[in-house]
Amino acid sequence: MRVLRAFESAGLEYVLIGAAAMAFHGLVRATADLDFFIRATPENIERLRTALREAFQGDPEINTISSEDLLGEYPAVRYAPPTGNLYLDVLTRLGEAASFETVEAEIKDIDGTLVRVATPAALYQLKKGTVRLQDQADAAALRERFNLRDEK
Amino acid sequence: MPVQKFRSIEEMNKAPEPSSQEPPFERFVRLCAQYWAIAPKQYPRGVFKFHSIEEAQKARLKHSSW
Repeated sequence: MRVLRAFESAGLEYVLIGAAAMAFHGLVRATADLDFFIRATPENIERLRTALREAFQGDPEINTISSEDLLGEYPAVRYAPPTGNLYLDVLTRLGEAASFETVEAEIKDIDGTLVRVATPAALYQLKKGTVRLQDQADAAALRERFNLRDEK
Repeated sequence: MPVQKFRSIEEMNKAPEPSSQEPPFERFVRLCAQYWAIAPKQYPRGVFKFHSIEEAQKARLKHSSW
């Protein structure tokens, strides 16, 4: 929650995906990572650094998260904070198919913090074509719970 | 509804989960905390950069049993 509050406080443009997003839709399983797309602009990446510094007491490692990387050769950045079990996977794009702009999202209110969460259909689209077994299980759970169908 | 009975695993999987008064995100946070207490993560600290999500997932597998 501290991370999500910091995102809102910094005005970060993001959309939550992965297990945390599924939890917002009632499909609850444990995870160690918080996955999210961010809008791929230098200004937004600065907001990301600001939010992470606020959430993790100014950890100097955060300064190595750069626009050059996230907008260029490294669209996936993982940040493991100095303490705790949670780590964050920050994405600017997923192949050529998905990005902040293409993932359908809805706003959820959790204890007064507004969280931008991928819709069940968007999560299903992200997960159904992957090879990771956990993603396939997630896709099956989403399809079953929300009666989702593949587009022809 | 303390006990539910099913004729098959398929029937069990289709049944709605027992209702809980706890909101799902709170349940998620609590469940994660329980898992982390049972199986603390050993992921190295800091920032790691990947060319793709597949590369990121491979790195995760090296450090995780989840």
